Formats: sequence, structure tokens, C-alpha cells
Amino acid sequence: MDEDNTVGIVKLVSKEGDIFPLSIEIAKLSNLVVTTLGEEEEHDTDDEDGNNVEIPLSNVRSSVLEKVVQYCVHYSKEPMTPITTPLQTLDMAKIVQKWYADFVDVDQVMMFELVTAANFMDIKPLLDLTCLAVSFYIKGKSADEIRRIFNISNESVSQQDAVITEMSEGADEEVV
Amino acid sequence: MPPSKKRQRLSQRQIRVRDLERDAARRSLNANGMNGSLPPLPSSEEDDVQIENGVESGGIGTLFGHPYGALPYGNIHLVDSSKNHPDYVRHSGLGNLRVLNDEQLLEILSFVDGPSLAGGIVNCSRFLYVAGHHEELWRDLVLRLWGEIGFDVPDKTHADGEAEKQSDGVQVNHNNSGCWKDIYALNHCKSKKSSHHPEKHKPVSIQGIYSDTFFRSWLCRSFAYHPSWLSTHTVQTIDHSKLTTKVFLEQFEETNTPLLIKGASSSWPALKKWNAQYLIETTRGKSFRATSGAAPLPAQFTMDNYSKYCKSATEEAPLYLFDRTFAAKCPQLLDDFDGALKESCPFWSCDAEHGHDLFGLLGEERRPDHQWLIIGPKRSGSCFHIDPNCTHAWNAPIIGRKRWIFYPPGVTPPGVHPSPDGDDVCMPISLGEWFLTFWDAHVERRSHPDVRKRPLECTACPGDVLFVPHGWWHLVLNIGDSDSGSFNDKGMSVALTRNYVSASNLSDVLRFLDTRKNQISGCRDRHEAVQPDELASEFRKALSHVEHCQQAADEEKKDCDSGHARLKGRWTELLEMAEAEAKKGWGCAAWTDIAQESFCSIPEKKNVEHKSSILERAKLQQTMDSNNTSATSSSCEVFTFSFL
Repeated sequence: MDEDNTVGIVKLVSKEGDIFPLSIEIAKLSNLVVTTLGEEEEHDTDDEDGNNVEIPLSNVRSSVLEKVVQYCVHYSKEPMTPITTPLQTLDMAKIVQKWYADFVDVDQVMMFELVTAANFMDIKPLLDLTCLAVSFYIKGKSADEIRRIFNISNESVSQQDAVITEMSEGADEEVV
Repeated sequence: MPPSKKRQRLSQRQIRVRDLERDAARRSLNANGMNGSLPPLPSSEEDDVQIENGVESGGIGTLFGHPYGALPYGNIHLVDSSKNHPDYVRHSGLGNLRVLNDEQLLEILSFVDGPSLAGGIVNCSRFLYVAGHHEELWRDLVLRLWGEIGFDVPDKTHADGEAEKQSDGVQVNHNNSGCWKDIYALNHCKSKKSSHHPEKHKPVSIQGIYSDTFFRSWLCRSFAYHPSWLSTHTVQTIDHSKLTTKVFLEQFEETNTPLLIKGASSSWPALKKWNAQYLIETTRGKSFRATSGAAPLPAQFTMDNYSKYCKSATEEAPLYLFDRTFAAKCPQLLDDFDGALKESCPFWSCDAEHGHDLFGLLGEERRPDHQWLIIGPKRSGSCFHIDPNCTHAWNAPIIGRKRWIFYPPGVTPPGVHPSPDGDDVCMPISLGEWFLTFWDAHVERRSHPDVRKRPLECTACPGDVLFVPHGWWHLVLNIGDSDSGSFNDKGMSVALTRNYVSASNLSDVLRFLDTRKNQISGCRDRHEAVQPDELASEFRKALSHVEHCQQAADEEKKDCDSGHARLKGRWTELLEMAEAEAKKGWGCAAWTDIAQESFCSIPEKKNVEHKSSILERAKLQQTMDSNNTSATSSSCEVFTFSFL
């Protein structure tokens, strides 16, 4: 595999058929791209060095893919601070750089699509970031609040977890 | 934590097919993360408990139902969908989150703290009640908060097998309800300095939960052992009283053949003295390290807490205690077997004339790790691996029996995918998964046309010692004392093992030390040990040094200090022969010289401390910098060489 191929381009194709060209080096943040390109080179189906290969991403919409590409491009310039648990703070801007904190300031629909896309394209830092962002909707919230945020029907479960609820009442923001 | 997945190269066509499948899976909301579909179990109104040892026709016998009532996704097709969408429990229970699959959901929940999970999530809906109680979530919370410093494990208060209908009509399962949440609650209260003793968590069985993700991880830890899995005996077996050193060396060590020696350890004091109580008392005040392929971090346990953990451990891949420091921490434990071993198995004494335990010449501190105390709950064990550094090994169960499956060097077991250069291995991280998925393929291999490629199997009992020759793949399962799959028969399995170099594998070891430096293990995380780059030359120096010692001692007409001295005059010869062999090539088919890129990449785990030499070798890039612990991400779980 020619690692020096800085001019190589890979074309990511969204669900709607829109093409997002991306330099191979940047696109390799996605393990799906890495695997696909590796296979391509073996079969020599396209230009040399896996150039101009199209990768169909049939369950990623264009608006989502655009964001994913933005993420990869930015990552190549400023890699995201790795997210490690236990978290020391609930302030996203203190866990990752500001650009990334802003990146996930999106609505729920987009957020979930980013989770799915990151999972499908196997981009670990993006998956971590988006899952972390969703988890922020949950942390420190009561069951009622969580239901409201995610539009969950009110169902009673016969068993309450009294112990830990008691312990967390009145406590400072609990972080793990 | 997400279950293991295999990463394989895919053709264009396969990529397209996979796309379609994923699309379909996303629409159907429950992606089956890994294996093919599990057979649907008959759905029932009440949880059916215990099909001990039985295998239903076409189905998988289990010890008890899923504690929260989850069923495989395939069962959804058996549901009457005239009134409601069959998956309505999930739909209504997740709201907007339902566009994510269960693995993604668990990934999100893995970032949530304990009180939010217990106080918020599990009270939201039935589905979130089940998801929020996923055992691995609680395990990871405990390990992150208290893994390194140690934590208390509560006593088990209920008998297993008890299913109870409470006064409010709710059915509660006391069987195998998991333990990590209880561990969390106990330590959480402790950390808040509360004297409150939390009640043990009682799982409630919920109807209408269809999820391969939840079901699979439970199934992998609770399947009943089929009697046929435990009955084959094809490893050669000799009674200890009939085994001479000559026979052992010529017919087994030099031919690299596994051997079960019946009764070889029955004279060891450990066999009589060791039980849970003795171990707890002898090791009081000390902690030991336990790890698991699935856990993000290791954990420190006192023997007392580990024993309690073993009684109630319920994960797919339990924390396995593997400790190389036990002899230094508790010399009594070493005394309980070391002397007797030399008597009962003189071929494994460094006094032996043929040259045994040659790494010992480097000295106790400088040599790679070589002896371990291994403790685990029943049903724990190790999935397929080859022992490190080309060493031979002996393994002696002290409490509890072990089931072994061997594959000859160079013959890859089903379900295992080593990279061509041997650096990395892709395989299921849990034994349960291997047995459930690959058992049939394994049975076929027993009748391989080439006899030399067939697997070998046996059960080692306390009193026996097993010889594990270098290069052989092996899998070990702790099966407790009786064949019944009863989960009441819990408790710790305890064993001892040592890895060694002798004349018979010296040439391969030298070749390995010279050419596979990045695979050398057992030394990187101890600064006093000889590091991989120097091991080859230091080892050779140590070998030559003995000869000089011996010559000097001869001249002065006294005995050489070295316990290896009996090899008198033959050291040079031994080393020369081994060097010549090493230059020619590998003596064992486990190692070949194909140099290709590894296709199997390594997962990045949250907050993993890469001190373990095992994990450390999981590197994609060629960097040999042992301080650099970065790893690239992938969805493939790697379980590199580990010990039993």
C-alpha cells in the first residue's frame, strides 16, 4: 500500500447519490474506508493506488455525510482530545476542543444520525464524541426529564432503585 | 461494551451486500452485531428455568432464562402483531432513541454515571430498565472508579435457582441476576461514608424485550455444557508412577507432544492444603490482579473479595485472576508446591541433566514472567492462544477441573484468525461465544483426513499435571468439580502454571528472540527485567556464563553455584547445537517466516492502561517503542497471547 499518496482522492457517495471527494489520508480516519481501499488495491479495479474509488454509503444522508467529512478534515488538522473516562467534568468544552464541542451542538435527529454514521463508517473518535454528547442528555436527569427529552412514553417499572437515588439526591453533580 | 466482531476483508460485492444488510438492520432496529442469527427460543409466559445439561432439539439448553426476560430478536416473528407493533416495547420505551440499535444504545449508556443510570435511565421505561441493567455497564463503572485501588464484593444472599413471585405479583429471579450493580452500590455507599447496606438487586422479568445484543451476551455466559463437549479424551495420558524422565523427554518433550500426567501433583502439599479459606488467610493483606478480554481495565482483588466475586460472577468474559507475583507476595504458597514438584517431576527441576528452565539463568528479577497463580470462577477460562516466547509449559489444577482443547502447531482452530506474521489474533473474546458458534466446526476437525492436524482434548483434574508443548494452540475452560451444569456449584478454580525453556525448544526460542522482538512478552512492564531488544544477547550470555562457572568450579574442585550445573561440560555443545538449528529454521510449525501486513487491527479501549505486556503487543504500526501505548481503532476485538 502506498502510504505517500497525498494526492489520492476517495469519493464518498451518500444515500442520495451525492459525491463527497476526500483525500485518502484524511478519509482513512474511517476504518470502513481503510478496509475498502485495501480490498480495492488488491483487485486493481480502479486507477492505480486506489485513486478515485467510490465508496457507497447507502444509509448516510448527504447532510450527515457532509458533517462527517467536516469532522475528518478538521481532525487531520487538529486531532480531537481522546475522551477518557472517568470524566472529570460535564462541560463538553473542557473535555474536547471547542471546535468539537460546537460540532455536536446539533438537534437530536442529526445527533443520532451521526452516531449511526460513525458506527457504520467505523470512526471511533466521532462515535465517542457523539455518544458522549447523547449521554449528556441523560446525566444528572430524572426519569421524567429523560422521557421528555427523548419523547418516551411514561411506563412505570415496578421496581425503583431507591438506594442509589437516595444517595444521589442532594449530592454534587456526580461524574464518572 | 460492544460485543466482539470480526474484521475481515470484503469484496465490492460483499460490501454492497453488507450495506443492504445494515440498512435492513437499521430499519429493523436491532442489528445483530456479530454471529449469524441465534435460534429463537420458545417464548413463554413465565421464565423457564434450568435445562441442566439438556439440549433441546434444534435449540440451545440453558441454565435459566435471561434475568430480565430478553429473548432473541428472531422471536419477534412469533408474536401476535395484530394489536401492536411487535417491537412496541422498544419503540415506546426508547422514543427518539429507537433509531439507534442496541449496541449503539449501550455505547451511549457506557458514558453515563451510576446514579444517572440507576436513578434516571432504569426508571424511564421497561426497555431502558433492561438496557440500564446490562451487566457490562456496571462492571465498567466499578472498574473505572475502583479497579486499581480495589473494591469490596458483597456476600451472596440468595440461593441460586430461586424464582419468586412477590406479593405485588411481579416475578423476580434470584438466579444469576448479576453482581456488578450490587458491587457498585456497596462501594458507592462506602465512598459516601454511608453505613447504609444496599439491598441486593432483584431483577424483574419484562415481557416484550427482543434483542440479540442483550440476549447474546447473557447466552454466552449461561449456556449449559453439553456432555459431548466434556467427554472426548484424546491427549495421551500416562500414570505418574509409570513415567520416567527418559520417556518424558524422548517421547513428549522432544517430539513436542501434549501429555497428561495422572497423579503427578498428588504429593504436593498444595493439593491437600489449598481451599478458599486457606488461600484467603495466607494472602491476607495482599491484592492480586484480575483481567478480562472484555473489561476495559484490570482490577485488584483481595482473595476474600475475589472468592465472593467468583460465587456470583455472571459476565460473558469474567475477570480472571492471573498473578505472577504470588510467590514473592506469599512465599508460603510457593513452598506448598515447589519442593514437591522437583521430587515428583524431576524432569522439571533445574537440576535436571538435560537442561531445564534455562531462562532461570538470567536470574529471578531479570527473566521474563514465568509462573502464575491462576484463579477463576467456574465457566471462565482462556480462549485459544499459543504460549509466549516459544516456551513449553506445565499446568496443574489444584482446585476444580479444567477442560482442554489443543490444536497442533500451525493448525488454526475454528474461529481464530491470526495475522500472517503472528503479531495479532482475531477471535471471539469469550469462551461461551466460541462454544456456541464453532463447536460443530471443531467436531468436524476431529475427523480431519490428516491425523496430525486433528485437535486433542482432555480433562485435567486436581492431582494431574498437563504438559503443554510450545507452539500448540490451546483453549481452557474451568468446569468445576462435577459435570452437572448446576450453577450452584460455583466457587474458584485454582491452578498453577510455569513456562520454561529446555534443550528441546532452545533453538526455536533463540530464533524467536532474534526475529520476533515485538512479540516478546513478560518483561516490558517490569523495569528490572531484561527488555526485548536485549533479551537475545543477554540470554546467550547467561547460557555461556554457566559453562564458565562450571569450569571455574571444576578447577577449584567444588560445586558450581548454579542449580543448572549438572549439565557439566555440555553447555557449549547445547548452545552450539541450538544455534545451528535456529539458523536452519523453525523447529515448530507454529512459526513461519511469511512477512505480510497484519490485516487485523486493534480496538482502542477507553482508559485502558497498557501496562500489560499482552495488550502492549497489540500495535498496528511498526513502532517498537515500548512506552508508546497508542492503538488505532477498529471494531475487531483482539485477544493476543495470554496465559492460562
